Amino acid sequence: MPFDFWVGWVAVLTVLSLIGLAWVIYGAYFGGQKVGEDEQSPTVWDENLREGAHPAPMWWFWTMLASLVFTLVYLILYPGLGSFSGTFRWSQGGELEERLVAHESAFGARRSEIARMDLELIQANDVLMRAAKRVFDRQCAACHGLDATGQAGMFPNLLDHAWQWGNSPGAIEKTIRDGRHGIMVGWNSVLNRSEASQLVQYTLALADSTPSVHPGKAKYDELCVACHGADGKGSIALGAPDLTTGIYTYGGDVLTIKETILYGREGVMPAFGGILDDMQIRLLVAWLSRS
Amino acid sequence: MSVLGIHRKLEENSGLLIFGILFVSAIGGLVQVLPSVFQDELVTPTSETQPYGPLELLGRDVYIREGCSTCHSQQVRPLLAEVKRYGPFSSAGESAYDRPFLWGSKRTGPDLHRVGAKYSDAWQRVHLIDPRSVVPNSIMPAYPWLAERAADPRENIQTRMRRLQMLGHPYSDDQIAQAPYLVSDKTELDAIVAYLGVLGDAAGSDGRMAH
Repeated sequence: MPFDFWVGWVAVLTVLSLIGLAWVIYGAYFGGQKVGEDEQSPTVWDENLREGAHPAPMWWFWTMLASLVFTLVYLILYPGLGSFSGTFRWSQGGELEERLVAHESAFGARRSEIARMDLELIQANDVLMRAAKRVFDRQCAACHGLDATGQAGMFPNLLDHAWQWGNSPGAIEKTIRDGRHGIMVGWNSVLNRSEASQLVQYTLALADSTPSVHPGKAKYDELCVACHGADGKGSIALGAPDLTTGIYTYGGDVLTIKETILYGREGVMPAFGGILDDMQIRLLVAWLSRS
Repeated sequence: MSVLGIHRKLEENSGLLIFGILFVSAIGGLVQVLPSVFQDELVTPTSETQPYGPLELLGRDVYIREGCSTCHSQQVRPLLAEVKRYGPFSSAGESAYDRPFLWGSKRTGPDLHRVGAKYSDAWQRVHLIDPRSVVPNSIMPAYPWLAERAADPRENIQTRMRRLQMLGHPYSDDQIAQAPYLVSDKTELDAIVAYLGVLGDAAGSDGRMAH
């Protein structure tokens, strides 16, 4: 059925039921029947219990009249009667738009000022830093933990100095805005058990110094060097972690490192560029790069 | 006939009274519900709304079975606070391929209509198996069994997709032929994570505002 039919349907039914309602109310109060008139053949129960016809109290009438008047006024001012949009031209989308504009004019200037502010100035401002912590709590803490030290053996600690994608303000901002996708391939198909164990030992040894002679070095130089580098310093451009820090996102014990080497890892940082605005991202960068 | 006369007649004939009650209570539905059943806007997908893939479809069933919608809504309302918090407000067309829709009416947990972009799959897995391990003050129940159950134990994903195809979901025969390979070795956890991952993919389509 065409849309116009249903528009008419809504309007006609609304008007008819209002008229019907008015008629019922009017009839019940002023329909000509008086108290006691309906008693030619009164129904009597239990010897003397009679059904009467006492009218409803008048304050009911006034309440219902007021409701009817309110309804009429409402239907004139606001949308409700078919496609008639009301003399106020109110709409849900329009109201949201208005509020967004009001929000922007109230806070927009200050927000864009903060979005361009020097990080040091933000960091020196307690109010802004508290706001930054609130943004962190709401948007970041689910993965990185309320204290930002990482959790679940897979979400990185943000308070240490080992940042696989870099901890310069620019790098942090890019990470937040565009997200990151880190992939370490698994070497299960090319390593035998002893080679894997040697590689684990070599990885652990890298934390102290780069060993020149080590049973795991040959495989490291063959498989790992492309991303993690000859000295194990990793590569921020590739998101390959620095193996010399002794900090391991997924765990630094022998078994976990072995699992990482054999089966690989995949870490995803979602992009928040579409979720946070520039000011919120600036606040987070300031909060995360504070000393 | 006077109003009180009609009233008397109704009071004395219970059959008539039942009919009268039904008629009066139907008026609201006739005005509010019936026209929307025929309103194209509500059943036409927005330009970016896609039908669910086979794994996502199974994940949606897990979502329904576990009662996620008793605590999570899937409708961002057109209110300033909601648009600021969750993103573009929901439109009816986004639910065109939801049978039934899962808008929900209760938010013990947050709204999930825009959740797809916010968390990595790894987080969703950890969180579903043990919510407290990542959100210490969460009151969400844990769903550890999802990781142990096959996503499509009855191997009827093709039947489901064909039925939806009959209802107008634009699945190609190729997609339906491929479906079993996409879900065969998957768990319910894989399925629901895939489903949660696409929630909100159509956000902001057709000119609705991003905040």
